[in-house]
Amino acid sequence: MSPQLSTPSKVAFFRDIRTLKWALQILALLAVFALFYWLYGNYQENVAKSSIQTDLRFLDNPANFTIPGNDLDQSQPVRDAFVEGFLNTLRVAFIGIALATILGTLIGIARLSKNFMVRTLGTVYVELVRNLPLLLLLTFMNLAVVLQAFPRIENAWLPLDLFVVSNRGIAIPWFIGSPAQLGIGILSAALLAFVVAKIRIRQADKTGKQDRAWLVGIATFVVLVVLIWLLFGYGWELPYVDGRGTTGGLRLDPSFFALVASLVIYTSSHIAEIVRGSILAVSRGQGEAADAIALSGSQKMRLIILPQAFRIAMPALGNQYLNLIKNSSLGATISYFELTQIAQITVGNGSPAVPAFSLTLLVYLAISLVTSLVVNFFNRRLALVER
Amino acid sequence: MLDSVIAAGSVRCGTRDALPGFAVLNDAGEHVGFDSDFCRVIAAAVLGDANAVEMIDLETADRFTALQSGAIDVLVRNTTWTATRDGSEGANFLQPTFYDGQGMMVTSDSGYSKISAMDGAIICVAKGTTTEGNAALESSRLGLDWEIRSFDETDLILEAFLAGQCDGWSSDVSQLTGLRSAYPNGSEALTILPEVFSKEPLAPAVLDGDTAWAQAVNWAILATIQAEEFGITSANVDSIRDTTTDVGMLRFLGADVPGSDGAAVLDPNLSLPTDFAYQVVKQVGNYGEIFARHLTPLGLDRGLNSLWNDGGILYAPPYR
Repeated sequence: MSPQLSTPSKVAFFRDIRTLKWALQILALLAVFALFYWLYGNYQENVAKSSIQTDLRFLDNPANFTIPGNDLDQSQPVRDAFVEGFLNTLRVAFIGIALATILGTLIGIARLSKNFMVRTLGTVYVELVRNLPLLLLLTFMNLAVVLQAFPRIENAWLPLDLFVVSNRGIAIPWFIGSPAQLGIGILSAALLAFVVAKIRIRQADKTGKQDRAWLVGIATFVVLVVLIWLLFGYGWELPYVDGRGTTGGLRLDPSFFALVASLVIYTSSHIAEIVRGSILAVSRGQGEAADAIALSGSQKMRLIILPQAFRIAMPALGNQYLNLIKNSSLGATISYFELTQIAQITVGNGSPAVPAFSLTLLVYLAISLVTSLVVNFFNRRLALVER
Repeated sequence: MLDSVIAAGSVRCGTRDALPGFAVLNDAGEHVGFDSDFCRVIAAAVLGDANAVEMIDLETADRFTALQSGAIDVLVRNTTWTATRDGSEGANFLQPTFYDGQGMMVTSDSGYSKISAMDGAIICVAKGTTTEGNAALESSRLGLDWEIRSFDETDLILEAFLAGQCDGWSSDVSQLTGLRSAYPNGSEALTILPEVFSKEPLAPAVLDGDTAWAQAVNWAILATIQAEEFGITSANVDSIRDTTTDVGMLRFLGADVPGSDGAAVLDPNLSLPTDFAYQVVKQVGNYGEIFARHLTPLGLDRGLNSLWNDGGILYAPPYR
């Protein structure tokens, strides 16, 4: 007779540990929902009592304010002002992330340099900047650097006669034509350059010769941009001082400069530490192997160490990018017209506070989530494929 | 609200701490100024004690949220009465304490002598106020293409103005006068241009839907105007109450009014003590006194803010 397995007697469902666990979870969830429902009900009640708007109708009202460096008319709806604020936030985010990554990587590498001067300067930079509150850095950048160190418009600096630098902004030479033309030109040049570089890489893979593919790609890009420029006859436009302002070229708002500079300085100090840590985390043998096959110092860094280091750094870098985007809201304190500033102004002009700030909140959330998605995409692309 | 104020024993008054003439902190850390005194007027009327005020400093952009959420009982923070604020901010505006208008201040050496000459100028204003909208409207009306920069605080505008980042500083004339008097380079370095391009009735506000409280605040302020019209000041209020035979003044001060069936005190059922006007004048003063105390030293004229029988528009309904 084979041994019989004793089947457990059926437990009543209300004493089943699994049912109880589920029930507890659902109860907790219900409690949370009830709390939010109660808060929302309170809000509704208070709002109804004092006749405050709660919907997004205010977006159709006239904005009643203008944005520096923008031809938004004060009679355009609040919606348009929000779009401009959103674009200004994106401008700071894009430029800030690009510059902070470059500067941070250079300083991260400098911190590991064998040269005493370079190494010490890197350490001083990181320790100094990382330990300052960003708001303070920004206020300093605005009040001390832009307002005081930059000259008044009457005696503006004119480096090379190409730029006009004053505490009313930095004007740079700019092309004449529509932004769409510029975009299409640059995009097609970039696409062609990318193809050229890819072909070179395939060639190099086949022959095993030194590649320099990306250098060739960049050169192609520059040549193409110049070619398109000449072909379609776009012209430069140089800025010049005109009364109490500047005319011509592209004028960068002084608050834009202060905000980007502070964000880049601050975030790059954090990125430098991430890069340094990631380089140290690359197995020592990799560097020794590179030395063994007689790669030069820069080749070793560029071809062996950094690609592996960035794989490690990617998730932490993503966090820094998100921080930079969110910190750009501090621009509101120095009169840079990004999302938060627009929200504050429009609320001061009579838009209802709760819906206006909720909308702003959701836009930031959307920007951050999209950034996360992009970072995660690259993270998956870069990650070691393990079986 | 009235009951909760009486129960708490103090009025929570939304104000600010850095506007010369209207509300600034003195060396002892007390709020001094025109607006601060109207907070005290309300406390004197409702609670009989002008010092029963809790001054709560607010940022410009936060003031209506503070009112809506019940963090303050009344907002006296040179706030312009506009239709949108009345309608969608849940605020109930009462008797204006000051009739103001928006103007422009420039440095005296800038060469600007009128607003229409300021083509393409950078104009700096405070954020979250009606100032931005008025400036934008004036710019497009005159076709001046102004670049309007908005700052959180007057300190930041001052820094930008000193550094030459702004050509003009636009705000209510009363504010500009106050800021000019405190300018680090001396008040002669600044000029306020003669044009005024908006109506800015600065009025106290309470939360919508509380009639009793609104009435109480309103009549406290009207009492200062009526007192000036009667010629009652903090110095002579006692002697007038004891000696006058004027029925209007006796009613106003909550004194016994002789009648056919004996003496009686007028109680108009405003949910205020019957002697509220006496307390207001005795403890704080009449409108003219408050103005002379805080705004005359800045160089502001009475102008529109004179009594109706003196060329201004201050007019209190009869107290009977």
